[in-house]
Amino acid sequence: MFNKILIANRGEIAVRVIRAAKEMGISTVAIYSKADKDALHVQMADQAVCVGESPSSESYLNMQNIISAAVLTKAEAIHPGFGFLSENTTFAQMCEDCNIKFIGPGSAAIDAMGNKANARDVMKAAGVPVIPGTDGTVDTAEDALKFANEVGYPVLLKASAGGGGKGIRLCANDDELRKNYDAAKSEALRAFSDDDIYMEKAIIGARHIEVQVIGDEYGNIIHLGERECSMQIRNQKVVEEAPSVALSQELRKAFGEAAIKAAKAVDYKNAGTLEFLLDANGKDFYFMEMNTRIQVEHPITEMVTGFDLVKEQISVAAGNKLSKTQEEITFSGHAIECRINASTTGLINYMFLPAGGLGIRVDSGIYAGYVMPPYYDSMVAKVISHGKNREEAIAKMKRALDELVIDGIITNIDTHGIILENEDFLNGTYHTKTLEKLLGLI
Amino acid sequence: MNIFSRKKYVTLPKSTRGDGPQVPDGMWEKCTKCKKVVYGKQLGTHKICPLCGAHQRISAPQYISIVADEGSVTEFNCDLTPQNPIGFPKYEEKIAKLGETLNVKEAVVTVSAKINGIDTYICAMDNRFIMGSMGSVVGEKITQGFEYATKNRLPMVVFTASGGARMQEGIVSLMQMAKVSAAVKRHSDAGLLYITVLTDPTTGGVTASYAMLGDIILAEPGALVGFAGRRVIEQTIKQRLPEDFQSAEFVQDHGFIDKIVPRDRLRETLGTILKLHSTELFLSDAPSQNVDYYKGKADLEPFKAVEISRKVNRPTGRDVINYLTTDFLEFHGDRNFRDDGAIVGGIGFLDGLPVTIIATQKGRNIDENLLCNFGQPHPEGYRKALRLMKQAEKFGRPILTLVNTSGAYPAQGAEERGQGEAIAQNLLYMSGFKVPIIAVIVGEGGSGGALALAVSDRVFMFEYSMYSILSPEGFASILWKDGKRAKEAAAVMKLRPTDLLELGIIEGIIPEVADGFCNDIAYSLDYLKNLVLAEFAQIAALPTDEMLEARYERYRKFGRY
Repeated sequence: MFNKILIANRGEIAVRVIRAAKEMGISTVAIYSKADKDALHVQMADQAVCVGESPSSESYLNMQNIISAAVLTKAEAIHPGFGFLSENTTFAQMCEDCNIKFIGPGSAAIDAMGNKANARDVMKAAGVPVIPGTDGTVDTAEDALKFANEVGYPVLLKASAGGGGKGIRLCANDDELRKNYDAAKSEALRAFSDDDIYMEKAIIGARHIEVQVIGDEYGNIIHLGERECSMQIRNQKVVEEAPSVALSQELRKAFGEAAIKAAKAVDYKNAGTLEFLLDANGKDFYFMEMNTRIQVEHPITEMVTGFDLVKEQISVAAGNKLSKTQEEITFSGHAIECRINASTTGLINYMFLPAGGLGIRVDSGIYAGYVMPPYYDSMVAKVISHGKNREEAIAKMKRALDELVIDGIITNIDTHGIILENEDFLNGTYHTKTLEKLLGLI
Repeated sequence: MNIFSRKKYVTLPKSTRGDGPQVPDGMWEKCTKCKKVVYGKQLGTHKICPLCGAHQRISAPQYISIVADEGSVTEFNCDLTPQNPIGFPKYEEKIAKLGETLNVKEAVVTVSAKINGIDTYICAMDNRFIMGSMGSVVGEKITQGFEYATKNRLPMVVFTASGGARMQEGIVSLMQMAKVSAAVKRHSDAGLLYITVLTDPTTGGVTASYAMLGDIILAEPGALVGFAGRRVIEQTIKQRLPEDFQSAEFVQDHGFIDKIVPRDRLRETLGTILKLHSTELFLSDAPSQNVDYYKGKADLEPFKAVEISRKVNRPTGRDVINYLTTDFLEFHGDRNFRDDGAIVGGIGFLDGLPVTIIATQKGRNIDENLLCNFGQPHPEGYRKALRLMKQAEKFGRPILTLVNTSGAYPAQGAEERGQGEAIAQNLLYMSGFKVPIIAVIVGEGGSGGALALAVSDRVFMFEYSMYSILSPEGFASILWKDGKRAKEAAAVMKLRPTDLLELGIIEGIIPEVADGFCNDIAYSLDYLKNLVLAEFAQIAALPTDEMLEARYERYRKFGRY
């Protein structure tokens, strides 16, 4: 096991990792920017090294300074958390050069999954379902119709050279496709000087469901079930729950198997998440992307499995085998996470976290008297509830949010109140656009 | 704030050596331009800063290994060391010491090697050796290199990196400039190719001799290229010089560098240039018989030709070049004053045949037009064209010109630098180049500015193009004092391709689809490509004197009296 690790992150995830390390008897080194000298992770760690100026590009993304901090403090491993350098191949490579263990999958796997087209090819080759699309360009309207009728409507026409949503057209039937085909081609030519277009099946009203996996250095990979993350605003997750109410036992098994297949295809080590889209028909699902790091919403998986993901990350990185086999992973009850985001920064005058009682957990990086700097992510806390069933988990969450006070900054606690009362949420019939509709954003 | 009331300090271990984490040697390097520390692996073998793109200085052996085919290198004169011609104190010791510490014995390494499979002689200077200064040994090794290359008919590639003459060798060093230049002349007179690659820094006596004598002058981005130093100039004229003064980009804008090539593209670019100069020009196959030229449609309304030829979305010179050629390399500058964006020129393969192509360039929007001056060349544009055509003649390459200009740029500067003289020189030289020339009027063929690129063995016009003594607006304004009567003028000027065919001004017409070849570029340009290839073969099949006689007669015949 490691004697000392450096946590190359800030906020609640840095605090989370420091806590896990402490419980494992491992010394911790925090890094911080000039703006973060009073931050909670800095105070909690055994040592702390300032790595640069306030903007994250000069501190939390300053690879050279972070590596130097690890070398100077003799940290044997670096936990990158999420965001920042967690999926940076170059940084993982630097760690390898300096005999520092990067707590993650290693530069090769990050590389393989980082490029979306590449990841799609790898998954397709491994037999993992991907969103049906033409692998090359579509050169005639007849070919377009043929493809659409193969995969079923609706379909998207996309410009090969496109980006930023430009050159995308949604077609619901043969007539629309015929009408849009030439228009899409000439639009692509005008916008990108290239009239190549390709097609994809449009997945409307889909759910975002992801599967947690973790592997060791010996080729063992297990999954820890799914998380339902469809409650989103513009692709930003707001509420997550585990398990998903949309999966039958049979479908759940298929998700788990697909995730293991996918992870094995890239010889995956350490914690990772396979993100899938579940079609509105409730049975077809497609690989979207893989996150090669720990995720924000990992606590809900921990709550329903009793499996400490961060400790296991550190353990397998140190060369230990996975502590459990797939058969030993069991699931109990239901967990929900609400992300508390701030829309202003500044002094936290007063704060009350809803501690007490079984099944409530709050992961946070702030405290009363703390001055939140304006440079970083807006998430200030994650409230997690765990009940013997979904109803109890929701009830506990409502109770917890009712008690939660963060005074001095503006947060989205009230939005969570609306979500928890929403009929679609209560019925479990929501998808990735539900919240935007609910808040009148679309 | 210290909420847990802990002592906060970092205890550093005594040594960072051992099994723990450590930074391996060479992991970090510092960019000499942005001064940031970068990950060595990201600098790569080409030593290009991943943050600011600056090319770090590298040694002569590194340049050779970057461009030469593996296992093809043979070094010459590697142990040659200088005497002390002016008895400079401690000079021998300095040379000996550098020879021991560096992997080179003098400031240039000369080798024969293959690039892209083509035998080449390479001289690479090394800035680490007394700032790459040129003393007796540098001069001697490069001179011997040129002599060897001349004798063995090899192309020459020289990487320059030098502060200039070597002070420690006094006037003897100065004489190396003349010595090498004379060797360059003999190599050139033998019809051989010389490419220079200017790297950071190329200054003083090296710039004032072989660095600037290449048939093709390449440079690395950001390289310092100049004769007198910035400080000397600033002190003399008592003025601040612009930031980019004497950068490769600045020197290219002023007409002295053909092309700026990033280091990671050098191998490929040199390979292409060498291939373009070592490809068999004309196969000895008998040329095909006379092509049956397209004659155009006689019912074309004259002003329609004018309108379509001026359409904004008409493919530009560069578009046509890109369609017709592969491996096209654009070369800049007139080696005199400036690079004119209104003229695009360079070499490329036309279906496997190396050709020099010169085109006038129009823009499609205001930004492009600011760069190419709405397709109206300055004298330096015509001089760039002439320079490239002279080079084509040296290497026996045929010349294709693509004309689309409303005319030469009427401006004060253009007159000061001799617009008329520049056009005249082109007419003079083009009548006598000993290589086939084909001119194609792609859009507007405006007066002398068009003719300056159109004296040739054959002239073709696109179906919707025009070629005239001046614009219909100008014509109307001179004759009828009313430029608005352009349409009327067009009707009487005989500027349509069919009219010009009748007058014998052109040989044939390139067909276009309705409303112009912007609607079907392949239709017209595939026709043009096949036509040009067949015509080149036919012209080249003639003995040179007959070809020139025919070209003389082609123009001699014009005139009705």
